[in-house]
Amino acid sequence: MRFQGLMIIKSCMLAAILVMLHFGVAQAQSEVLTDTENCLLCHRYPNMGRYDKSGNKKIYYINDKLFAVSVHGKLRCKSCHVGLDEIPHSNVKKVDCSSKCHIKEPSTGKEFSHENMVNKYRASVHGVDAEINPKRNPEDLPTCKYCHDNPMYRPPRDIWGKSEALSNETLARCLGCHTESQWAERFYSHFTHRMRKRRSQAEVVKLCTSCHEDKEKMARHGLESIQTYKDTFHWTQVQYGVEDAPDCISCHVPLGYSAHDIRPRTDRISPINMANRVKTCSNPGGMQSCHPGATPEFATGRVHAYGMKAQIMAANNGKNFLQDQDITLVVERAEKDFSPEEVFHYKILKLIRLFYKLLIASIISFMLVHQVLDYMASRRHHKSH
Amino acid sequence: MSEELVISASKLDEKANDRKRYFIRLNFNERVQHMIFLICFIVLAITGFMIKLPEDIVSKFGEAKDVVFYYRGILHRIAGVVMILVSLYHVFYLLFKPAGRRWLVDMIPKFKDLHVMVGTMLYYVRVKEKPPEYDRFYYKQKLEYGALIAGATLMSITGLLLWTEEMWPKFVLDIAIIVHGMEAILACLAIMVWHMYEVHLKPRKFPIDNMWITGVIDEEEMMEEFPLHYQKIMADPNLQKIFIQQEDEEVERPRGIFARGSQ
Repeated sequence: MRFQGLMIIKSCMLAAILVMLHFGVAQAQSEVLTDTENCLLCHRYPNMGRYDKSGNKKIYYINDKLFAVSVHGKLRCKSCHVGLDEIPHSNVKKVDCSSKCHIKEPSTGKEFSHENMVNKYRASVHGVDAEINPKRNPEDLPTCKYCHDNPMYRPPRDIWGKSEALSNETLARCLGCHTESQWAERFYSHFTHRMRKRRSQAEVVKLCTSCHEDKEKMARHGLESIQTYKDTFHWTQVQYGVEDAPDCISCHVPLGYSAHDIRPRTDRISPINMANRVKTCSNPGGMQSCHPGATPEFATGRVHAYGMKAQIMAANNGKNFLQDQDITLVVERAEKDFSPEEVFHYKILKLIRLFYKLLIASIISFMLVHQVLDYMASRRHHKSH
Repeated sequence: MSEELVISASKLDEKANDRKRYFIRLNFNERVQHMIFLICFIVLAITGFMIKLPEDIVSKFGEAKDVVFYYRGILHRIAGVVMILVSLYHVFYLLFKPAGRRWLVDMIPKFKDLHVMVGTMLYYVRVKEKPPEYDRFYYKQKLEYGALIAGATLMSITGLLLWTEEMWPKFVLDIAIIVHGMEAILACLAIMVWHMYEVHLKPRKFPIDNMWITGVIDEEEMMEEFPLHYQKIMADPNLQKIFIQQEDEEVERPRGIFARGSQ
């Protein structure tokens, strides 16, 4: 009897432990990602990483909770990281953002992919494609991740992001019906993400200038440094954090354009092509309405200050600069880009500036000398009286 | 006894002559014009050069920098409009008020001014013993007045062009930006070097010549600085009525930092 009682107690305890374990696992599963490929077996360890051949530290740790709420939290690792069949991984391939990731795109039911964007991007000024868009120094060009750096925490901005409480309240309403909180949160972020500016205007300028202010890198592609933007009132407004201040994408990617599809200004579909300027400056229907009454005369003028290209063109149409190997490409492009009218304007502006410099220098130095002499004379005069 | 009477009579006479005389350099209307123009100038200079501040100084405004920028723009426009209105009033004053017309006649440059200028320079470099005798306005004031008219006109035109930017070709605006900026630098430097010296730093004027508030200078200063004008006034009773103010006519005179020390 006594033995039987012990058995009952033992089996009860076992059952209790099993039940607890079951709930524990279920609890854990709803909070973290479903790691069906068992990658976290190794990658959950925070110290996991190595130094590569150039001495850079690579971290291979995955924080499952952070990953689960990230934009890619629903994906399996191998959807993007193709290969990886061997351990330790020796057949790793670079992630290709245009690959299909086995998630259904809800509007068409087809497999989801960033292919559309990647194709546009490949044809754009920033992209490279061996056939349709060959480039001289492809290593200089930004990859997807250069701009989409997806940091762990970026404070939400503007429209929705200005009030964190608004996000909380809206999300609480979603959760009323969509009880799976991780799903609701991801869907909410996905949707409101498109309503936010992820970067302030100053941050956008910082991102673009991280390459475009590098004179040597730009010269390799026949471009001039974008320092010319910082001579404009547009930049002054960005500096002061003015709401709706015009940053790079305000004019280069206005309403109806994609940042992945930036074209040179000679291209008919570029927003800064002369044919599209009035629309770009007035931006009808867009969030920013900068110059609603823009006329063709106003809109087709020079926006950035004149820079190196104007200098080259003004100096004997670039012929004096041709010896300099570094900027042959710049000279070539300047000859294509600059109309004689623009060169004339540049010369006039330069002349006015020079005139004023001479005027200020001569008037102020005359005044200084005059007043010093006057001071000495009146000291002399008062001493003698 | 008769001797005593004579003495007391002469004393009385002396007292009557002793009443201090002041000479009007700026009348009330002109002082108000100057005051408004001065305030506008300072507001315009500060709010204008704010857009040329380097990045690290702008960041010191912190979170409120967009608000600062908003009020900067509003203030600059208000001060600009007020300055244009004062300038237009000044033109009206020059043409239609008797005091204004006298001002205009005295201010118009003449060949004699060049002569006076050369004479002053020679005095500065000790070639001549004495400076030439100055009239109501001489070359220093005329140059400054001319510069002010030219500067105010250019600044007003370019400022209005930039304010109504969408109506003009960008090339015109580019010129306006350069002229507005360079003219601002020129005006501020000229005011600092030329005008500030005349009214602040010059010996016997330091720390400030209070004429811009009182509008008058005393006889001694008048004789010393504008002898030709002094002689003209003393020779013409009509001018005396306009330019001389007796001591007992005056209302309260400012004291404190504006009081003129030993002079």
